[in-house]
Amino acid sequence: MRRSVSIAVLAVTLLVGIRAPGARPGNVVASGQEKPSTMEVKIDNFSFGPAALTVPVGTTVTWTNRDDIPHTVVSTDDPKAFKSKVLDTDEKFSFTFSKAGTYPYFCSIHPKMTGKVVVQ
Amino acid sequence: MHPFDIKAVLLAKHAQHVVLIHFPIALFIVGVAFDFLAQGNKRRLWTAAAYCNLFVAALATIPVLITGILAWQWQLDGQRLKGILLMHLVLGCTSSLLIWTVWLIHRRTRRQPDAVLPGYRLPLEAVAVVIVALTGHLGGFLSGVNGPG
Repeated sequence: MRRSVSIAVLAVTLLVGIRAPGARPGNVVASGQEKPSTMEVKIDNFSFGPAALTVPVGTTVTWTNRDDIPHTVVSTDDPKAFKSKVLDTDEKFSFTFSKAGTYPYFCSIHPKMTGKVVVQ
Repeated sequence: MHPFDIKAVLLAKHAQHVVLIHFPIALFIVGVAFDFLAQGNKRRLWTAAAYCNLFVAALATIPVLITGILAWQWQLDGQRLKGILLMHLVLGCTSSLLIWTVWLIHRRTRRQPDAVLPGYRLPLEAVAVVIVALTGHLGGFLSGVNGPG
């Protein structure tokens, strides 16, 4: 009986873990326990992937242009927290987020392309 | 976006350039088509229509060039261009130059009552249409009309 209860508790814990907020595609969360130092955002087919990224303070985010045409990564805030040069195919841009906050950004060549980094 | 921010209104995240560019492209191609028709049937009306289209096409290149250069300076901070962006800039300037050249040829002939349009203008116009189409194709590729952007 106790063994069955233990298995049930373990199963529920696993299910809750899988369905945790932020686990869905498009909103990637780097948990505090993992503490990744770098995260990657791919630019492809006129979109940032993942479009929303949650990272701990001190994380370096690297954007890589996998598209056939040039893109930029520009912070929407004023003054701009970060601004890349024009990235051709396979070129990268990195920025280290040292302060907590929400950092929306866009591609200045294609303003419909937007994304955000949430730093916790 | 503030409604009275001149920079925002004129640039609107460089959307103006993308809109305005259609005018010189359409007017020039139609003007050339009229000129080719005029060459075939020798009717003065077609020549006049070609002249008017070419004239407005040449005028329309001015705001297009201005908004394109402003987009480069404001959106990309005037950074050194390369690849498709550089090709688009060079071809855009070449297209504008060719449109003005073609119009000036027509204008010079028009100011002299007995003058006839030179035959070399037709291959020049054909080349100009190809360059304009190529520039437009690159512009469309850059703006993402072929993708979800």
